[in-house]
Amino acid sequence: MKLTVRSALAGLMIMAAGNVAANAKDSVVIGAPLPVTGALSPEGTKLRQGYELWREQVNAAGGVKVGDRRLKVDLRYYDYQSQTPRAIQVAEKLITDDKVDFLFSPFGSGATKAASAVAEKAGVPMIASSASSKEVFDQGYKNLFGVYTDNSTFSEPLADLVKAKLPNARRVAILARNDLYPLSLANEFEKSAKKRGFDVVFFEKYAIGTLDHASALTQLRAAKPDWIVATGYINDLITIRKQAADLKVGGEAFTLINGPAYQEWISAVGPLAENVTTASWFHPVARYSSDDVFGSSAKFVELFKAKYGSEPDFTQASGSAVGVVLQQAIERAGSLDRDKVRAELKKGGFKTFFGPISFSDIGIADSYVPPVLQIQDGKVQVVAPAEIATSTFRTGLK
Amino acid sequence: MLWLQVLVNGLAVGGLYACIAVGFSLVWGVLNIINILHGSLIVLGGYLAFFAHQYWGINPFLFAPLAGAVMFAGGVALQYCVINHVMARPFLITLLLTFGLNLFLDNSMLALFSADYRKVLLNPAPGVFDLGSIVVPADRIYATLVGLVLISALALLLRFTQFGRAIIAVRMDRDAAALLGVNVRWTYAVAFGLGVFMAGSAGALLSAIFPISPVASAGYLSKAFVICVIGGLGSIPGAVIGGFALGVIESFGALLLGPEHALTLAFVLLIALLAVRPSGLLGRQGFA
Amino acid sequence: MMLRIALPLALPFAIVAVAFVLLSQTDAYIIRLATTFGMYAALALAWNIIGGIAGYPSFATAAFFGLGAYVTAVAQNLGAPLLVGVGLAGAGAALFAGLLGSAILHLRGKYFAIASLVIAEVLRELTNSWTSVTGGGMGINLPLAKTTLLTQPQLYLAAMLFLAAAATSASMLIDRSRLGVALRCIAQNEDAAQIIGVDTRMAKTWAFVISSLFIGLVGGVYASWVTYIDPTDVYDGAMSVKPILMALLGGVGSVFGPVLGAFAYLLLEELLWRNLLEFHAGILGLLVVLLVLFLPGGLSQIRGVGLVSLPKIWRRAP
Repeated sequence: MKLTVRSALAGLMIMAAGNVAANAKDSVVIGAPLPVTGALSPEGTKLRQGYELWREQVNAAGGVKVGDRRLKVDLRYYDYQSQTPRAIQVAEKLITDDKVDFLFSPFGSGATKAASAVAEKAGVPMIASSASSKEVFDQGYKNLFGVYTDNSTFSEPLADLVKAKLPNARRVAILARNDLYPLSLANEFEKSAKKRGFDVVFFEKYAIGTLDHASALTQLRAAKPDWIVATGYINDLITIRKQAADLKVGGEAFTLINGPAYQEWISAVGPLAENVTTASWFHPVARYSSDDVFGSSAKFVELFKAKYGSEPDFTQASGSAVGVVLQQAIERAGSLDRDKVRAELKKGGFKTFFGPISFSDIGIADSYVPPVLQIQDGKVQVVAPAEIATSTFRTGLK
Repeated sequence: MLWLQVLVNGLAVGGLYACIAVGFSLVWGVLNIINILHGSLIVLGGYLAFFAHQYWGINPFLFAPLAGAVMFAGGVALQYCVINHVMARPFLITLLLTFGLNLFLDNSMLALFSADYRKVLLNPAPGVFDLGSIVVPADRIYATLVGLVLISALALLLRFTQFGRAIIAVRMDRDAAALLGVNVRWTYAVAFGLGVFMAGSAGALLSAIFPISPVASAGYLSKAFVICVIGGLGSIPGAVIGGFALGVIESFGALLLGPEHALTLAFVLLIALLAVRPSGLLGRQGFA
Repeated sequence: MMLRIALPLALPFAIVAVAFVLLSQTDAYIIRLATTFGMYAALALAWNIIGGIAGYPSFATAAFFGLGAYVTAVAQNLGAPLLVGVGLAGAGAALFAGLLGSAILHLRGKYFAIASLVIAEVLRELTNSWTSVTGGGMGINLPLAKTTLLTQPQLYLAAMLFLAAAATSASMLIDRSRLGVALRCIAQNEDAAQIIGVDTRMAKTWAFVISSLFIGLVGGVYASWVTYIDPTDVYDGAMSVKPILMALLGGVGSVFGPVLGAFAYLLLEELLWRNLLEFHAGILGLLVVLLVLFLPGGLSQIRGVGLVSLPKIWRRAP
C-alpha cells in the first residue's frame, strides 16, 4: 500500500516541476477567478460559459486586433471555491505568477470589491462582470470597471411601475439576505419606495444559509403589504416564493431579485412563478446592434443557443460582455499597454450586444437601461422600458 | 394568532429537522463515528427522488423508502470495504475519513449534476391545510409523517429484532458481543447502512420542499449536529425531540429577535445546554 | 540548563530568519505560498498543543481564528495600528479560551469535540447579526498596512513565519516542561493523572489558552493580509479540520510533526488546485481517504510516527 502514497507523492513532484507558464506575446492573457466549487458554483458555471463563447468567437475570427497583429485570447481560470479571501489570492496569483495582462472580476459584489484592491495595487485593469453595488465602486480605484448599472436602476423603474399600476398600493415589505449585494439592493428599494410615498411597513434581513423562511414570512404577512420585495440568491428565492404561497402571503405585486430571470428558478417554482417581477441587466429580447465580435444581441443569443442549447441569462451574457468591452478597449488602444487600455475604458462609448457601455466616474456602467421582467404564462416578458417591452405589467398573484 | 402560527411553523420545520438528524444520530451512537458524509447523502437522496420523479413520475414521499433502500446497499458496501478498516482507531481518524469521502462525494455530485438548484415540482401542488387563521403546508406534514413512520420502524427494528439487539450489544460492548457470536464487522456495516438509509429517505422527503444542490450539503450537516447535541448524542428519540425543539426555537427566535437572529437564540440555548447537560435532553448510555 | 531553554527559544527563530532572507526576494507567488505555509504550520502547531499533546480533539480552531480576524478588523477600523490589532486578537482569543475552557473542558472525547465545534457556529451567527460593529454579512475591509522597511507581501511573510517559529518554540518549551508532562498524562489516562496529583484542570486550561493565543494571532495577521473578511470565510469549518489533518499527516503530539504535515498538506492542496480546475476537492478528498487508510504505522500513535515514517517513504522512492 505504500506504493500508493509513494507514487502519489512522486507524481506531485513532477506536476510541480512542469508548471512554468510560457508567456510569449502571441496572446492576450486574461485572468478570471471563478467560483467552480462552493456556494456560488451555479453562477461560476454560467460566467464561464459566457467567457468561453466570447473566446471561441474571437479566436475563430483570428484573435484580438492589436495594431497590425492578431493576438489569440488566453483565459486563465482558477477556482476560488466561493471564498472571498481565496478570490483575493487567486487574483494575486494570476497577476504575479500567470502574469496576466488583464483581469475579469470574481462573481458578485463582495468578492469583486475584495479582489479590486489587488488589481488596483498592481495597476491591472479589471472588468467586473457581476457587481452592481455602489459600495464596490466608491473606493476611488482607477482599475475597476463594471458592466452592470447600479442597483437603483432596478428599484426605480419597478417602483414607478407599481406606483403607476397600483395607485392604491401604499404598504411595502422588504426581506433581504444579509449579504453585500442583496442588502444594498434592498436599501435601494427602500429609498425608491419612500421617495414615491410608499410606507415601508416591514424591513427585515435573513442570515446567509437560512434554510427556512416561515417565521419571517409570517411576520411579513402580518404587516399586510401591497408590494413585497425579497432579495437574495436563487436558492433563497425558490424557498421564499414557495413558503410565501404556503403561508398565503397576499399582496398585489411580488418582486424577487435575483432569481426569476434564471430558467432554473422558473422550473423550480413552477406555477408560483406567475406574475413575479424581477429585473436583470440583459434579456434575450434586447435588440442592440454592436461593433463587437457578435454584431448584435440577436446574433449573440443565436450563437449562445447553438453552443449551449438554451437562451442566455444575464449572468451568462455578462461573461461575454466583459470580454467584448475589454476587446474593444484593447483594439482602440492598439496595444496591450495597461495605461492605454485603461484610458480607453475610461472614455467608454462601447457599442456591445449587451447594450451601449460607458462608465461613470467611479467605474460603474451608466449608459443603458436594464429591463424590468415579469413571468407571464411561464415565460419571461419584458414590461419596461417601453421601447423594448414585450408585454404589459400585470398585477395580482396566484 | 401570530404566536400560534409561529409555533406551527416551528413544528412543521421541526419534523423535517428530525428526519435530517436521525441517521446521523444512529451512526454516531452505534459506530461512534461523526459522519461528515451525512449532509451529502441527504442531497444524494434528493437527487434520486428528483430523477425518479422526472423520469417515472414517482411521488417523492412514496419514493423515500426506496431511495433509502438503494442507498442502504451503498452504505453497507462503503462501511464494509472502507470505513471498517479504521473502526478501531480513535474517532478523529474516522472523522477525517468521512471528511475526505465527503469532499469526494460533493465534488462528484457537482461534476455529475452541476450545481444548479432543482426542486421536485408536484402536480397538483399539495397545497395547505387551512385551519381558519392558521395555515399548515401539506407537503411538510406528509414529509414529517412518512419520516416518523420510517423512524418508528427503525426504532422497532432496533428494539425487537435479533439484529437490532445485536446492534445494541455491539454498541454497549463490542468485545463481549463478539465473544457471544455476534458478527461485529457485519453488524457495523448494516448499522451504517441504516444511517445512510435514513439520510437518503430524508433527502427524498425534502426534495419537494427545499431546492436540491450539492452546495446545500453543509447546511444539512450543521443542522444535524445541532439537533443531535440538543437531543442527545446517539439517541433516536433524542434526535426527534431535538429536531422539533430546534424548529420551534428558531421560529420563535426569528419572531422575537428578527429573522437574521433566528439561529442566535438556538445557539445560546445550545451552549447553555452543553455546559449544564452535555449528554443532551435524552442522552443516555442505553439505546432506543 | 540554560541551553535547554535557550535552544528551543532561539533555533526556530534562527531558521525562520534565514528562510525569510532567502524567500523575501523571490516572486510574489512563492512569497504567498510561503506565507500560507507559515500560517498553516502555526495553526497545526497550535492545534497540536491541545489536540495532540493533551489529546483533547478540539474543533474550535475556526472559532478562534475568526475571532482573532474580527478583533483585528474591528480594532483597525476604530483606528488602532496593526500591531495593536493583532495583539488584541491574540489576547481576545486567549481570554475567550480561558472562559470557554472552564465551561467545556470538563467534557471528554467526542463531547468536547462537538462542543468545540459548535463554538465557531455560534460566533459566526453573532458576527453575522452584529452588523453595526462587524458589518455582518457585508464583511469588513481592513486598511492596508503601512510598511516602511518591507514590502506588503514581505511583511506578512515575516509575520506568519514569526508566528510559526513562536508556536514551535512554545511547543518545544511545553514539551520539556512540567506542563508537557501533565498534558501527556492527561492524554493517556486523565483519571490516573488526577490520582497521581496532576492538576488536570489547570493544565488543560493552559494548553487551551496557549493554543488559542496563537490561533487568534494568526487570525489577526490573516485578516490584515487579505484586507477583507466575512463571517462565512473566517469561521469556515474547514479551518477547524485542516490543522488536524496536517498534524495527523506529520505526526500528532510530536513537536515538528505538524510543521512537516503543514508543508505536505499545502503542497498537495496547491498542486491539485492549480492543475485541476473542477475536481481538485474530490481528489484531495480521495488522498485524505488513502492517507487515513494506508499511511503506515498507525496515525493514532502518539509520538512522532509520521515524522519517522515519511522520510522512509522518500528514501525508498525510485
